[in-house]
Amino acid sequence: MARSHAHGAYAIDRLTHDSGMGGWNPAFKAVLALGTLVICLAADCMAVSLAVIVSLAALQRVKGGLPLGTYLGLLRVPLVFLLLGCLAVAFDLSRAPAGDWYVGLRWFYVCTTAGQLAAAAALLLKALGAVSAMYLLALTTTASELTGVLRRAHLPPLLCELMYLIYRFIFVLLDTHERMHTAADARLGWRDFRTACRSFGGVAGNLLVLALRKSRVYDDAMDARGYDGTLCFLEEDKPLRRVQLVWTAVFWAALLLLRLVARQKGA
Amino acid sequence: MTGKQKRLVRLTACAALCCGMLPMAGAMHIMEGYLPPAMCIAWGAVALPFLAAGYFSLKKRVAADRRALTLAAMAGAFIFVISSLKIPSVTGSCSHMTGTGLGAILFGPSAVSVLGIIVLLFQAILLAHGGLTSLGANTFSMAVAGPFVSYGIYKLCGRLRINKMVAVFLAASLGDLFTYGVTSLQLALAYPSATGGVAGSVVEFLGVFAPTQLPLAVLEGILTVITMIALESYARPELRAVGFGEA
Repeated sequence: MARSHAHGAYAIDRLTHDSGMGGWNPAFKAVLALGTLVICLAADCMAVSLAVIVSLAALQRVKGGLPLGTYLGLLRVPLVFLLLGCLAVAFDLSRAPAGDWYVGLRWFYVCTTAGQLAAAAALLLKALGAVSAMYLLALTTTASELTGVLRRAHLPPLLCELMYLIYRFIFVLLDTHERMHTAADARLGWRDFRTACRSFGGVAGNLLVLALRKSRVYDDAMDARGYDGTLCFLEEDKPLRRVQLVWTAVFWAALLLLRLVARQKGA
Repeated sequence: MTGKQKRLVRLTACAALCCGMLPMAGAMHIMEGYLPPAMCIAWGAVALPFLAAGYFSLKKRVAADRRALTLAAMAGAFIFVISSLKIPSVTGSCSHMTGTGLGAILFGPSAVSVLGIIVLLFQAILLAHGGLTSLGANTFSMAVAGPFVSYGIYKLCGRLRINKMVAVFLAASLGDLFTYGVTSLQLALAYPSATGGVAGSVVEFLGVFAPTQLPLAVLEGILTVITMIALESYARPELRAVGFGEA
């Protein structure tokens, strides 16, 4: 039985570790991704969104070495939500016929205007642009590097340690769960809906028991290695290159210019 | 199986009939880039006091006993894994629990709010569910509103001496529904409808997501109950260790 999403966490994590942009400075990548994200949201303009989607896909392909098919597959993940959400933006419900087009449904009318449809399309592109910007961070920077960046940005140490530990434990528990899932599968535990529900509850309950037991074992292991309330991890030194800064400035300037031009044409 | 369990299974079968036909997806997270910037900041600010309260309570607990840290981390990882599991349904469709109702009942709502924001961040970067700019809004709906309602209902049922498993069911499914309502409200505030305003837009978003979310809430309640039954029968000492069971 394929479990696409338990698999998904492994898949994205592996892509992150394999990424050709893994050697870039993580703080720089965070700034680049968040900056592009903010520009894409604030510009609120179809041309800029398209430019962000295309240029980031190219960056992932050329610099990150990510196959285009894999990248497009990942972009499809949020599409269900986006399409449903855009449906609600594109169409209106009203008691009387209104708008450019409408369909009568006995008690109410579903109506829309050309402007609304355009707004929904713009929203879809903007959201896809923003998702691309998030992927720039998610597909190139490991979660522990990201935690390191947050730690240097003065996130309270308690939260940083919690993040480090949760990230590690997620994979421990996913692994444990996979084995329990296989064990249940071998005993026909997912045979039909009734049995599947019972197996699901049993697996979830058992997972919690094992998680608590493991947390005690990890405590002892950490104590044995001299844990005194602070977790220290060695980090690779990843220097920031001047070329990257220049390209970032050029990229952002181009996006801003594009917006100015697009707005003037529109107005 | 006991009689109670048999009845439960029959109930789940009915729920399955309702939801088996529908292609479901975990559509509760507001995606990246969907909210305008002002909304992102506003919802983040609304969630902040709850996070601060959760942070201080966690800090106090860790200061009293260092082992509370690994326990909290395991609880966070548990919520992540539970919410990433595909839940059973008749067709091969794909749907997820939020897991926050179970978390709130087991670990308390303030702890879940802190763990929730970390889990949501990891869901964004490991599973591409949710996003960085919508983190504030998602935290409020999934890690603050849902868990607090779940916990409130669970405690209220305890006061009213309602059967514990019924209480768990109500807490988990109503918490889920409340999360869904809050998410729709957040979306509607961002994109009010031209003819009906915010209220009209709320109805639209509720309607669009209802086919996936209503059966999901029922199923989440049922699965939470089955999980709690499993825990009560096999893991009483562990339940006491996380501070559950005195109620």
